Parts: sequence; C-alpha cells; structure tokens
Amino acid sequence: MLLAIDTSAGTSAAVFRGEKLVAFELYDDPFGHAENIGLAIQKVLATAGISAGELTQLAVGRGPAPYTGLRVGIAAGTSLAAALGIRPVGVITLDAVGLQYATGRVLVVADAKRKEFFAAGFDGGQQVLPPSVMSAVELAEKTDFEHVSGVCDALLVGQYALQALARGDDLSDVSALYLRSPDVTPSPGKKVTG
Amino acid sequence: MELKLLMAADVAAVIQIEQDLFGSEAWAERTVLSEIANPFTHYIGIFDGGLVGYAGLNSVPASFSADIQTIAVAAGSQGKGYGKLLLEWLMDTALQLGAEQVVLEVRADNDRAVGLYNKFGFEQIDLRKRYYQPSGVDALVMRAKVNQPVVLGIESTCDETGVGIVRGNRLLANALHSSMDEHAKFGGVVPEVAARAHLEAFEPTLKKALDEAGITIEEVDAIAVANGPGLAGALMVGIGAAKGLSLAHNKPLYAVNHLVGHVGADVLERGTVSLPTIALLVSGGHTSLLLVRDLLEDVELLGETIDDAAGEAFDKVARVLGLPYPGGPQIDAIAATGNPKAVRFPRGLSLPKDMEKHRFDFSFSGLKTAVARHVEKAEILGEEISKPDVAASFREAVVDVLLTKAIAACQMYDVPRLLLGGGVVANARLRQVATERCREAGIELRIPKFSLCTDNGAMIASIGAQLVMNGKAPSSIGFGAESTLDVTQVQTR
Repeated sequence: MLLAIDTSAGTSAAVFRGEKLVAFELYDDPFGHAENIGLAIQKVLATAGISAGELTQLAVGRGPAPYTGLRVGIAAGTSLAAALGIRPVGVITLDAVGLQYATGRVLVVADAKRKEFFAAGFDGGQQVLPPSVMSAVELAEKTDFEHVSGVCDALLVGQYALQALARGDDLSDVSALYLRSPDVTPSPGKKVTG
Repeated sequence: MELKLLMAADVAAVIQIEQDLFGSEAWAERTVLSEIANPFTHYIGIFDGGLVGYAGLNSVPASFSADIQTIAVAAGSQGKGYGKLLLEWLMDTALQLGAEQVVLEVRADNDRAVGLYNKFGFEQIDLRKRYYQPSGVDALVMRAKVNQPVVLGIESTCDETGVGIVRGNRLLANALHSSMDEHAKFGGVVPEVAARAHLEAFEPTLKKALDEAGITIEEVDAIAVANGPGLAGALMVGIGAAKGLSLAHNKPLYAVNHLVGHVGADVLERGTVSLPTIALLVSGGHTSLLLVRDLLEDVELLGETIDDAAGEAFDKVARVLGLPYPGGPQIDAIAATGNPKAVRFPRGLSLPKDMEKHRFDFSFSGLKTAVARHVEKAEILGEEISKPDVAASFREAVVDVLLTKAIAACQMYDVPRLLLGGGVVANARLRQVATERCREAGIELRIPKFSLCTDNGAMIASIGAQLVMNGKAPSSIGFGAESTLDVTQVQTR
C-alpha cells in the first residue's frame, strides 16, 4: 500500500494498492495547504478502507514549486512515515508530469511565482533538460519543445514513484527542491535612520 | 441535585454530617475551616435540598500525588450513588491537577467504601494499625494510578524548531533546534530561511525528543502544535508535521496558542500557574502584556507593541553599535560596565497623552531611532561615544518601560503576580529590575528557567496536556496557520 502526497500546486493525496489507484483526493485551492493536507490524507485512507498503519510505502512531491505550500506536504509525509517507521521516497514533480509524455519533445513548465518558471525538458520520455528556473524570455526561447503544463498532483507522484522504484531508482531524497536561494541579501549593517 | 465547591458558609452543615457519622472521631469546626481555606485542597459538596455529602482532595503542586482527605455521605442519603459521584469528581480533579496517583486511608472495617475504591482501581499498599482513635480501628492505605496524558508539542512559530513531550504536568523532553546562526548575517530572522530550516530540523528534533523521553511515538496520547501567532511559512511546517504524526496513529490533535504556551510553561516547573497573573512576554517577535485569569478559558491581551518587539530593538541597536546578531546578549554584556543614566533615552508610550489609548502598549521604534541619532550625531561632530554607556542607557529605557507598565497592570487589576516569559528574559538587567520592583510593590515574581522561557515545544505540549486533562475536544483536522492569532483564542477548534 502506497500513500502519495503532493502540495506542489493544490493539495492532494492518493492511495495505491500494488499499482492500482484505489483513492484520490484533490483540493484545488492554490493556498490552504496547511488546512487541507490532513483532510486529504484522512479521506484517501477512508476511501481505501485502510488505517495508516497498513501503509508500506510513502511518496512525497519535492517540487520544484512555490515553497510555502510545498513544505506542508513534505512535512506531513515525512513525519507520517517517521511515525510509521517506513522510509519515505521523494519525487520531483516535473519528472512525474514528464512521465505522462512517452513520446514527443516536451518542456514541462510550472509557475515559480515572481515572473519566473520551473521547467524540465523530456524527449521520448527521457529527461533531456534538468529542472531549472527560467524567466519568461528564457522560456520563450525554448522553441524546440512543446510546452506543457507542469501542474502535478499525488496521483502523478504515486505513479512515478511506483515505476521508478520498480526500476530500482534511488528516491531516498525527500528534501524540498527549491532551485532558488531565499530572496534576501545580507544587511549592509548600521544605519537605521535615514 | 448539584455539585458545588464548598465554602465557609457550608461548614455548619459539614459539621452536622461529621458528627452524625463519626461521633467522637468527627472533625472539629476549625479543622473543616482550615481544610476549605487551604489553597492546595479542593472540597466539593452534593446539595439535594441541603448538603447531603462532601469530599476533599489535597494535592501539593509538583508533588504529582493527591490525597483523598474525606468522603462522607449523610446517613439518610446513603445508597443513592452519591459516594460514587464524589469519588468520580475527586479522580477528575486529581487528573486536572496533574497527580499521577491518588492515595487514601479507609477504615479497615468499612467494606462498602473499600468495595467502591476497588472499583475505581484502588489497591491496598499499606496497613496502619489502630489509626483511628479512640476506636482503635486499623486504616488501609490504598492507591490508584492516574493515567496522565502523554502529549507531544511542536513549536515552529519563528526560528526555533521545538519538540517537547510532557506527561500531564511533568516535563519529559524538550528538544530544540535553532536556526539563529543562519539568520545572523541578515541581522534578523528571515522567514523563508526559518521555514526551510524547520523542514530540515523537524525529524531530527522529533527523534531527539522521543529519545530524551525514552518513549516511542505510539506511546504518545495526543499531539499539540502552535498554530499562531508567528511567521506563516514557519507555522505551516509545524502544522504539516503535526497532522502527519496525528494521522499515523490516530492521535488527537490540538492547535494551541503560542503566547499562551509561554504562560503554560510555568506548569512544567511548578506544577501549576498561580492565577490570576499578569504575564509579560518579551522576545524578538513579541512584546505582550496579558492578564490570565484561567489558562484555558480566560486570557486577555492588555497591550502589546505597536511597532518593534523589544528583542528586535536590541538587535537593531546592536547593529547601530556595530555588534553582531543576536543583539540581546551583546548589549547585555557591554552594558554591564556602562552607566545606565549616561543618556536619557525616551520611554515609548509613557506620556500622559498615551495613557488613554496605549495604557499597556509598547513602542520601541522611536527608542531605536533615538539611539541611532545619538550615535550618528556624535560621529558627525567627531565625538567619541562610550558604547557601554549607550548600551546601558538603551537597556535601561527598555527595561524601565517594560516593568513600569507590567507593574502598573498588576496594580490596576489588583493581581499581585507577574510571570515573565520569552527570550528577552535572558537579559540580566530585566531580571534584576523585575526582582527589585516586584519586591517593592509586594508582587510575586515568577521567571521559569530559561529553557522554558524561550520558544520551545514543551510549553506547547503543556497547554495540549491541560486541554486533554480538562476534557477538551481535539481540534478539527482542517485548522490552518494563524499568523496573527488572538491571544484570547487558546485553542483553535
């Protein structure tokens, strides 16, 4: 039994029995992650008819995504896994979306706020451009890709995790993928008035 | 029929029942009076027409034990379940007081009472020969365990990731990770830096707390988390983590107020918070003056800072003086050799005109600017300034205004108690002046140990435990972060 959690866009959770999806819950609200995360997990467990103790795997979306919401899902997922004594796995959300495009050359693009974008490129399902931050201008220059929406959810995170784990990929990194430093510069010191 | 706390006016009725039941072994009037007046005893009466039964419990705070002083039901009212009702009340009260066991003596020949006690889980632990005089009847000493709730508390309102664990009023663990060093180069707490640090620090801090308490997460009865006031992004990490923990093993979850947590910290040291009390909470994020009549039901905000928090002012003035972050300890250190009267810096919101609207509010922004102007002016004139003098004078202004208002609040509300909390309590001069002025004003001063004064998870766990012990329902799973949470809202439902 795998529980997937994602707060990279809305707030969502999914339960898979083997490779089969048995429950999925999505709160579309681009905010409200802290409010909705518990509800989403609670609902999918109820729909699947299981207690959390029956989970054997747990996957969380690592972004890249706006940080405040993203962290909620990772915090909930990793603490839930810690309490259950299972090792959580992390999925880069752009990869999870990219998996949906087995053919063609696509650039998976997600809003990074502040007029920037997170993007990763895939060709025939293979990643050819690793996740990075781009400006609108840089994005427009990527004309050799078909641009597709990078909005992710727990369903995609779960599907990616199951496939990647079956392949033997290492998904042990569950840290948030920020790709940007905190927007702050060291203080020049002194001068308070002025 | 109703249950009511006994008062001095009920003593005559108590004596009547005492004498009917116990004859020569009955309590004297002065004994009953002093029992009811004792702050550590709790007497309840059952009234049905008149007084038909009563019972009392004694528990010294932080002793973690409670003694049943007496249970009596009037001769004509026995066999109606009043004894059971009284004992239930005593056991509930013992739970609320943080007692981990209840002890009593009972006449060895009172089979009915012994039977009742057995039903409530009491077991004989000792026999006192000829305890009751003059009859010479033996006493059985019996004890029941009280299962105090084990509560895990999470704190992530600012730059400290805290996980604390308590059992009732007892502190089991207080693990802390601070991201203070990461903020040093920015001269203050950067919200995004703090939030990132919380996510990384949570699991190691959780593990540390569980190890320190020597328990597993399954043994925790409830989870508590501070859901405000604080930095939204930081709060949300703690809330996410708390919900994950809660859902893993279906543990009830309590969303509690961070500021009230600072007041509740004293429970872990003293077993109780003496109430009512004025509480002065001073940190890098808060400067709040509270009137606490009841820890869970009645917390009132008397005033707070209208601009910078006191701790923030220390940080900013430290920068003006070329001292590193965090400024509090730096200023405290150099102020030790300075003259606090060298410069008369302004006391914010202390003029007669401020008294109407800002009687108990604080303002430190003007003070910080005054210090900056003082230093800049000296620089322009090419004069040397004495950093110790400026630091000492600034510190004196902060401490003066904090305590003048806190003590005025004690006097205005006729509450002779002051509790200090928050990181600025580390300031030596604040503690010294608080001690002096409270002594002069006849006010009892409480300063919990420093690890319970700064932001920590144990104080959040403590409020969570109080909520559980008082039978409060858990919060719904859909609560969120409330960065400006009102102090009157102790629990978000």
